[in-house]
This record gives sequence, C-alpha cells and structure tokens, in this order.
Amino acid sequence: MITIALSKGRLAEQALDILEAAGYDVSAGREKSRKLILEDENTGLRFIMAKPADVPTYVEYGAADLGVVGKDTLLEEGRDLYEVIDLGFGKCRMCVAGPAELKGKLDTIPNKRVGTKYPNITRHYFEDVKKESVEIIKLHGSVELAPLIGLSEVIVDIVESGRTLYENGLDVIETVADISARVVVNRVSMQMKADEIKPMITKIREQLAKQEV
Amino acid sequence: MSNNKFYTPDGFTDQLPEICAFKREAEGKLRGVFAGAGYKEIETPGVEYCDIYTSTDLVKAEDLFKFCDQKGRLLCARYDGTVPAVRFAANLYKDEPLPLRLFYIENMYRFNQMGGGKQSGFTQGGVEFMGACGTEADSEVLALAIESALSIGIKDLQISLGQVRFFEGLTDQFGLTDEARDAIRTAIQQKDSVTIENTAREAGLNAQDTETLLMLIEYQGGAEVIDQFRSRVKDSSALSALDDLKEILEIMDEYGYLKYITVDLGLIGSEDYYTGVIFKGYTYEVGFPIIGGGRYDNVAEKFGRKMEAVGFSLSLTLAITALMRQGLEFTKEQASAIVGYDRNIKGARAKAIALARALREEYTSVILDSCGMTEEELDQYSDLNNIPASFFVNEGDEE
Repeated sequence: MITIALSKGRLAEQALDILEAAGYDVSAGREKSRKLILEDENTGLRFIMAKPADVPTYVEYGAADLGVVGKDTLLEEGRDLYEVIDLGFGKCRMCVAGPAELKGKLDTIPNKRVGTKYPNITRHYFEDVKKESVEIIKLHGSVELAPLIGLSEVIVDIVESGRTLYENGLDVIETVADISARVVVNRVSMQMKADEIKPMITKIREQLAKQEV
Repeated sequence: MSNNKFYTPDGFTDQLPEICAFKREAEGKLRGVFAGAGYKEIETPGVEYCDIYTSTDLVKAEDLFKFCDQKGRLLCARYDGTVPAVRFAANLYKDEPLPLRLFYIENMYRFNQMGGGKQSGFTQGGVEFMGACGTEADSEVLALAIESALSIGIKDLQISLGQVRFFEGLTDQFGLTDEARDAIRTAIQQKDSVTIENTAREAGLNAQDTETLLMLIEYQGGAEVIDQFRSRVKDSSALSALDDLKEILEIMDEYGYLKYITVDLGLIGSEDYYTGVIFKGYTYEVGFPIIGGGRYDNVAEKFGRKMEAVGFSLSLTLAITALMRQGLEFTKEQASAIVGYDRNIKGARAKAIALARALREEYTSVILDSCGMTEEELDQYSDLNNIPASFFVNEGDEE
C-alpha cells in the first residue's frame, strides 16, 4: 500500500489527473465525499487529503510515502524529503510586492517591515540572499492590505496573474522564487518501498514528457 | 505562572515498565554483539563543553541543548556518541596503542529534532573503530551494524551503502566549482533532478556527464550499479571508491549479509564529516533511518590525534518505535511469586523472609508482602496481577 498525501483543492485534482494519465486507477481519490482517507485495496493506493502546509510534514514523518505539494510550501516548511519531480502545474512566483513607485528602489529603504504568510521564505530571502535584516510581520491572508494601510512597506507573497496586486495599486518589485507543484517522497519509503515508488516516478515522468510534446 | 510540573518536556517521554524492560534487554543484546566483537564500552559524562561540537564545526550550536558552568562557559548535553568517543580516544586514551575498538550505549540530546518517531532525547548504541583503515575495517563495522539491528529483532532491514569519495572524484573530473558542487550535493540529497540538470547546464557539462550525475539519484541496487558507473569515470579517486565498494560487497557476502545491502552512490552525507564509506539503515514504520555510519578520517585530528576511524550508531529508541508499529507485543513482566504472612503469628514474618529469600534464588522476581494482606487478599492480588504463585505463611515459632 502506497499512501499519497495530496494538497486539498485544485492541486489534488491535477495530481490525480497526472497519475491517471500515467496509468494508475485513481477512482478512490476522486470519490466525492468528506472522507479524509480514500483507500482502494485493489489498486494499493491510499490518498489522504491534507492541508497543503501539512503535506510535507506527513511525508517527512513517514505517515505518507509520497506527497504532491507546491514548492512554496516546501520552501516555507524546509522539511527533510526527496523532491523528485517538478510537475509543472500550479505555476506561480513568490515575489516581493509593494507600491509601484518602490520598483528598483527596494534597497533604499532601511529596516523594512515585510508582511507575509511565508516568514521562513522571507527571512531566507532577505537575510541569506539580500544580506539585510528586516522586520517580518506574519499574516494569515489578504496580505496586500499591509502596505496599503501602513502595516508594512512591502509584502512577500505568491503572485499568479498579479491582478489582486494591480487592482490595489501594488506591483511586483522582485522575484524570490518560481513555484510549481512537486512530488515529494519520504526518505525511508524510497528505500523500503522502492519496487512500487520508483516505477510510479518513472511513469509520471514519462507522462509529463509526453504532455510537453 | 504556567505550571509544567505534570508533563515531560517536548521531545521527551517516560517509558512504561514493559518497554523499559524490553529496552534493557535490547541494550543487553547490543552489548553482547559489541563486546563479543572485542569492543570496549566507554561512558562519557553526558555533559560536554559546546566547543567539542561547535569549534570543530561538527554540529551547529542551535542543535545543542545548552547551559552554563559556574565560570560562564557554554556546556551542552551529549549530542552524539562519536565526538565524545573521539575526544576520549585523543585524550584520556591517547597512549593506548591503535587500533581502538570502543562502544557506547547512551542517551543523546538534540534540540530541534522530534516527530515521526524521533525524540529530542533518545538512546543510541554504537561503535567506533579508530586507527584502522581499509575496506576490511569498514566491513567489520558495517557487519556489526547489521548484526546489532538483527539482534534486537529488526527483520526488515535495508542498508544503503555509498562512498563519498566517488562524488568528490566525479566532480573533480567534471571540473565543477565549489559552488556548483555544493548545489549538486544538496540536489542529490533531495533527489532533485531539476536542479542537477540546471546546475550541470550552467557549468557547461556535456550530456553524458549530466546523465552520470542524474544516475546518482536513480541507480541503486547490487554490484551491477558499481559497474554501470565504472565506464563513466576516469578520476582515480572515484575509481578507487568503486573498487572499495566492490570489496565491501564481497566481504558482506562472506558474512552472509549481502541481502540487506543496496549500493547507493547518491548517499553522500550532508557535511564534510564522512570521508569514505557511508551507510544508512532503514526499516518499516518509522520515517527516518535507524542506523547511520561511515568513515570519518578527519575528525580525530581536530582533537589533536591523527587517526582514521569508522563507526556507526543505531537509534534504539527509533528501533523500538519501529518494532512496536510493526506489531511487536510487549509482555508485561510480572513477579513470579508473592509471599505473605499472618502478622498475628509470632515468627511467621521471619519464616516468610526466609521463604522469599529462598524463592529469589530460583526466580527472578518475588514479592514479599509488607502491607499485611490476609491469605484471601493475597490470592486476590496475585490473580489480579497474574502472579502465578502465592504463598501465605500462617505458622510461627513452634512452642
């Protein structure tokens, strides 16, 4: 039995699509119910529907063998895992955003306050990459509000189309990282269940290559 | 004010008597395996100067449980068995001729580490074989690692075996910069093929060399893996690493342990700690390896004694967690007998003491009731606690 942790929502659907295209029977995972564990003894697949931020935890601890999760979550959680496939969907960018007039002038503001849902990514970017200290303000949603009402100078957040930003008079100032969905594998499962997991990885890769053509 | 008096700190647990009994027995088995191979047990204090880990760049300060001595010097709880053993061998035991065979079974304390069966405080058993080099010494330790896991009842054991000199040699051959090498090292540890490809492209590697790097994360298996790589390398250090692995596999075959071993050249260690052979041991039901080991020839010289060394440790705590999740039932050890006596009869107590003593010669655990239970109460108590035999003394001195 292989346990696969999926990030509830669109990412889960897309992950099931690619597994199905790769030749796996994922009907268990498609079951429309409020069940959190969807298991099919015949196919040997068990899906667990988790909050995206928890997927790396399930996989690191070995509660799930495999997981599908956004690179943003992986960067933020910093878990000890194998990151084996870039699935290519769920694409977006992790950005520093703020008032458009700050473009190109980010470095001129000393002791910036940065609002974000991703404190670890933010700390890593400013401290290790840009070599500066910032005050990080952890927020849980509607992060765009922070620079608008003076809670922070800038924000670090996921940008897909950028519409929310533009409509609020904000703009992307710097890109921190490119994000997409990844397949992660527990380090022990990769060894102990190699006979099942390795072929699965190969099949998914082959399917991705086909789709690219 | 918060009151934590009822709880154990995060990452630490009390152990039930039956688990404690199982653990002591397992420790005894490990001790038997290690001592049986000529290793001598050492005990290190459990409290160390942080310097043994931090000034040597072996462990990050934030991973240590830290406190101060009276002079304000930073102390820490023992983080691992190896570094104190090396300190011991380089100081207290510095005149002892090499090779040294030492072992330990002790508690380790690691900050920032728990979950998935991991604890901040846990017991490890391990050996350090110092002043010995070569594949036969490596094999001695690897065989002990396998034997120790088997001895405590781990059946589904899988050992990944690598050689860090292969990766170093390979990247030398490819002429990679330190930066590119580090990026690829991290990517290999995460089996992140995308980063490997990108970094290889930036470094201007050709298709075949890029493929060789990707093979590091894809190819694991038996001796055939070594052959698949051999045709792709020219670097003498990488080639000798492959020869070493081949020899170790031959020796493991002689031990009868080949079936547990998978060659994994992508196993390259996170730091510059390991210098040669490296291995990890896995079993089902815990998300982390239960065994870690390898050759670390450059650690002892940080303590002023130049000597090669190879060792391993087994996390007994993780292993027991795995065994429990694999369905091992712990037997609740009960006393073999209970002895009671009638308090009202003069001399009955002395007889009961003598009887309990006599029984203890024969049985491991005999309770002498000191709560004044009646014969009926004694029977009830022994029924309730599954004590197979109960004796009640109701005769005193003969008058």
